[in-house]
Amino acid sequence: MTLFAVSAEFNAAPWATVVICLALMAGFTGYLLPATIHFLTLAVCLSTGFLAYLAFSLPEAQFWYLLDSFGVAFQLDALSGYFLLTNALVTLAVLVYCWNTGRSAFFYAQLIILHTSLNSAFLCADFMSLYVALEVVAIAAFCLMTYPREPRIIWLGLRYLLLSNTAMLFYLIGVALVYSNSQSFAFSGLTQAPPEATALIFLGLLTKGGIFLAGLWLPQTHGEAATPMSALMSGVVVKAGILGLLRCGLLSDQLLLLVQGLGVATALFGVAYAMLAKDTKRMLAFHTVSQMGFVLAAPVAGGFYALTHGLVKSSLFLLAGNLPSRDFKILQKTPIAAGFWVPLLLASSSIAGFPLLAGFEAKTLTLKGLPPWLAIALNIAAVGTAISFSKFVFLKPTFVGKTYPLGLGIALAVLLGGLAVGNVVYWQAFTASNLLKATLTCGVGAGLYWGVVKRLTLKLPDGGEQVDHLIGMMSISLTILFAWILV
Amino acid sequence: MVALEACIFVTVIIGFLGLIYKPNLFMKIIAMDVMGTGVIAYYCLMAARTGFLTPIVTDKESTIPYADPVPQAVILTAIVIGLSIQALMLVATMKLARENPTLEVKAIEKQYWP
Repeated sequence: MTLFAVSAEFNAAPWATVVICLALMAGFTGYLLPATIHFLTLAVCLSTGFLAYLAFSLPEAQFWYLLDSFGVAFQLDALSGYFLLTNALVTLAVLVYCWNTGRSAFFYAQLIILHTSLNSAFLCADFMSLYVALEVVAIAAFCLMTYPREPRIIWLGLRYLLLSNTAMLFYLIGVALVYSNSQSFAFSGLTQAPPEATALIFLGLLTKGGIFLAGLWLPQTHGEAATPMSALMSGVVVKAGILGLLRCGLLSDQLLLLVQGLGVATALFGVAYAMLAKDTKRMLAFHTVSQMGFVLAAPVAGGFYALTHGLVKSSLFLLAGNLPSRDFKILQKTPIAAGFWVPLLLASSSIAGFPLLAGFEAKTLTLKGLPPWLAIALNIAAVGTAISFSKFVFLKPTFVGKTYPLGLGIALAVLLGGLAVGNVVYWQAFTASNLLKATLTCGVGAGLYWGVVKRLTLKLPDGGEQVDHLIGMMSISLTILFAWILV
Repeated sequence: MVALEACIFVTVIIGFLGLIYKPNLFMKIIAMDVMGTGVIAYYCLMAARTGFLTPIVTDKESTIPYADPVPQAVILTAIVIGLSIQALMLVATMKLARENPTLEVKAIEKQYWP
C-alpha cells in the first residue's frame, strides 16, 4: 500500500464529513428526481470506495471531533477501511442486481440512506453516534425489507425492529453509565465504567450483530427476506454491530477475552445449525452467525475476515435466490446450470478456506497467533464450514439450461473479482504448511459430508426463534454477561 | 435521588416484563415504549445530578449549580428515534391487523412460520 501513500499531514476529516453529508443529500435528491436515482446510488458507492482508499493509504489512524469533546467523534483507520470497502462493494453489487428490476425510487433512496448510515456507524468513535447510526440502519433496513409489502415480510420486519429497539434501550442505559463515570461518550470510557455498563452495552451490540443467544432473530430475518435484501443484510448490515464490539474488544485484555469467548461460542453454535439446515437460504443465514463468531475471535484480523465474508455471503445469497428451489433435497436431484454452479463453487471454496481466493488468507490470518483453546475451537468450526458448503459444491452441474440475468452476472463479477484481488493483502499466507492445512480442512469437511452428514436426517429445534423466546433470551444473555464480568 | 433512580429502574423492568408477558402485539409495542420512557427519564435524572438550573449564559453571575446539558441534548435524539420507530411499528401493526384482527403474537407467528 506504500505506493499510493498519502502524506501524514493530510487531514481526512473534511473528506469524510463531506462524503457522508452529500450522500444523505443524494438520497433525498434522488427521491425527488427519480430519473437520476440509479446514478446517484452508483456515485455514493464510489465515494465510499474513495473513503476506504483514504483509510488504507493513511500512514496512521486519524481521530477528530466534529463539535467539541462532547460532540461526534470519528475515527478513520485500516479496520474501518475494511468495513467501508465491504459496504461499497456489496451495495454496488446489490444496486447492479436491482438495476433493471423496475423497483421504485423509494427503494434506491432507502438504499442510499442505509449505505450512508452504515458508513457513519463504521466511522464513529463514540457510543452515542453509534446508537444513532445503528437505529437509522434499523429503520432503513426495515423500509427496504418491507418493500414487497406482503404481510409475511411485514411481520418479519416488525419482529426485527421490536427486538433491535429493545436491545438498544438496554444499550442506552449502559451508555448513560459510561457517561456518568467519564463525562464523555468516547469508546475508551468503557474501561473505567462499572461492569453493568459493559454488560448492557454488549447486550445491545450482540443483539444487533446476531451473536450467540441474543442474536437468534437473524436466521429467519435474513433467510426469508427478498434476495437482494438478504444479500445486503448478511453482507454488511450485521457488521455495524460487530465493528462496535471489535473496538470495545481492543480496549483491554479483559474485554478482549469476553469478545473472543462470545466469538467462539457463536462460531460453533452457528456452524452446528448450518451443517444440518435443509434450506439453502436458512443455511446461509446460520452460517452468517457462525462467521461473525470468527470475526470476533480475532479482532486484529477481523476487518479482512469481514470483507471476505461480506463478498462471499452476498454473492451466495444472490445465487441462492436464483436457483430453481430452496430445498437441498430437490436441488441434489435436479442438475444446476454451469453458469450458476461455477460461481457457487468459487464462493463456497473461498469461505471454506480453500487456497487461491481471499477467504484462505483471511482464515490463516485469523488463526495466526491465537491461544490454543481458541485455535482448536475455530479449526473445528472451520471443518464444519467445509461440511456445510459441500452441500453447494456437490450439486450436479450441466451445460444446458438457464442463462444468466445480466445484472446478476455483473454483480457476481464485482464480488468475486474483489475476492480474487483480495489475495494480495496477505500473500505471506502461501506457505507449504498453510496450504496443506487448508486443503486438509476442506478434504476432511468434504469426507465427513459424504460419510456422515448427508445421511443424517436430524433436525435441530427451532423453537428458540419465537418472539417471546427471543426477548426472554435477552434477559438470559444479560445474566450470562453479568456473571462473566463479575467473576 | 436514590428513590427516583429506583423508580426509573422499576419502570424499565415493568416495560421489559410487559414485553415478555403480554400476548398481544399492540401491547408489546406499548410496553416497549414504557421501557423507553424509563430510559429517557434516567438520562434526565443523570443530568440533574449536578444541579437543577437551566444552563443558559446570562449577565448575572449565578451561584446555583446548573444541570449538565449534554445528556439532555443527546437524549433528544433518542426520543425522536424512539418516536419514529414506534410510529413505523404501529403502521406495520395496522397492516397486519387486516389479516390477524386479534393481533396475538403466537397466532401470527404460527401463520408466517417458514
